[in-house]
Amino acid sequence: MERDLFLKNVSDQFLDLEAPLDFDSNFRDVDSYDSLTGMTIMVMIKDEYGVDITESQYRAQKTIEELYNFVAENKV
Amino acid sequence: MKAYLNGISYYLPQEILDNVKLSSMHPEWSVEKISEKTGIYERHIASEFEFASDMALAALEIFFEEHAIDKKDIDFLLFCTQCPDYLLPTTACILQDKAGLPKSCGALDFNLGCSGYIYGLGLAKGLVESGQARNVLLVTADTYTKLINEKDKSNKTIFGDGASVSLITSEPKEVLFKASIQDFVYGTDGSGSEHLIVKNSGIKKHKELSADEFNETGDFLRNDDYLYMNGKEIFQFTAFQVPKLIKNVLQKNNLELTDVDMFVFHQANEFMLDFIRKRCDIPEDKFFISIKDVGNTVSSTIPIALKRAIEQKKIEANNKVILAGFGVGLSMGSVMINFN
Repeated sequence: MERDLFLKNVSDQFLDLEAPLDFDSNFRDVDSYDSLTGMTIMVMIKDEYGVDITESQYRAQKTIEELYNFVAENKV
Repeated sequence: MKAYLNGISYYLPQEILDNVKLSSMHPEWSVEKISEKTGIYERHIASEFEFASDMALAALEIFFEEHAIDKKDIDFLLFCTQCPDYLLPTTACILQDKAGLPKSCGALDFNLGCSGYIYGLGLAKGLVESGQARNVLLVTADTYTKLINEKDKSNKTIFGDGASVSLITSEPKEVLFKASIQDFVYGTDGSGSEHLIVKNSGIKKHKELSADEFNETGDFLRNDDYLYMNGKEIFQFTAFQVPKLIKNVLQKNNLELTDVDMFVFHQANEFMLDFIRKRCDIPEDKFFISIKDVGNTVSSTIPIALKRAIEQKKIEANNKVILAGFGVGLSMGSVMINFN
């Protein structure tokens, strides 16, 4: 699974990014992040990686690195 | 025999809940930011003693003022609501009497929300094309705002109250417009029924003064006596199922996406609509959104938006229009109507 593409896919779900995200970013701290952004990230993960992520699993991932690892581990 | 959609009227309650009022109720809530994303700035709220049946009656009065239709010609009334006056009798029977419709008129309620208008059109088409009725009134009305907990700022931001009336006939009457009702597709996933629910609301579970539940950040989460919506689950259902629904309705009507002149979807919120539009590959200029001053009026969003699209001349003669509804149930449906 390509890391840079994953980072781009997550970044693309934000309507407005003042600074680029990186793997250590706690993406929920970004000003433009809200619950709707979270919904589109979950849909993107299913679309691009075929991984069904539940709300509680999603909430447990604090950084993009953690989210990436979760998807990589659960990708069929 | 074919069925035609011939006219639409709608009613919105007088009281308006705008963002200023909403902010004063919830100063911690970034209403402006949320409204910018949802596209909702005002919602109409039924007054304390105004119920779905009252709004339906008001919409019927407007309908008969706006259309030269004789009440005695109406032979069926379909009432789509999830806020009936009583478990029994059927609210449609009460409406028949109050609206002065003939006693020869059939009347029934059906319980659907955001997909209800599509199912209502399907039922009306069936009644007309099977020769059981010639002039069917499809009425939609809901007062979701009465089901929302006072602390539930998310749902208060989204939902508004409203009612609509549509006339479906066996002959194309040139009233304000006429559109032949073409082929439908439907879909249901009852495994998601708990994602949008008023749990303590029927025979199985009565209202019981349940306790409020809050999430880890202290925001109101749910109270089973009131409306609960799991936004993430509804969003996922919509994101994955609606593109398939649209693909299927196009196929059923032997159409390509480019053959369609306008798409009018259930007006859930602007963010979700725009997200689905992109997933369905629908160009922005062929996708009608009208939610700013009404919010999500459940089963009335499609007829309200459709009427406004016609009034704004976004839909004209010979246009092919796809309607799609999706939500509580979970339920969905779509149909093509042809303004021929």
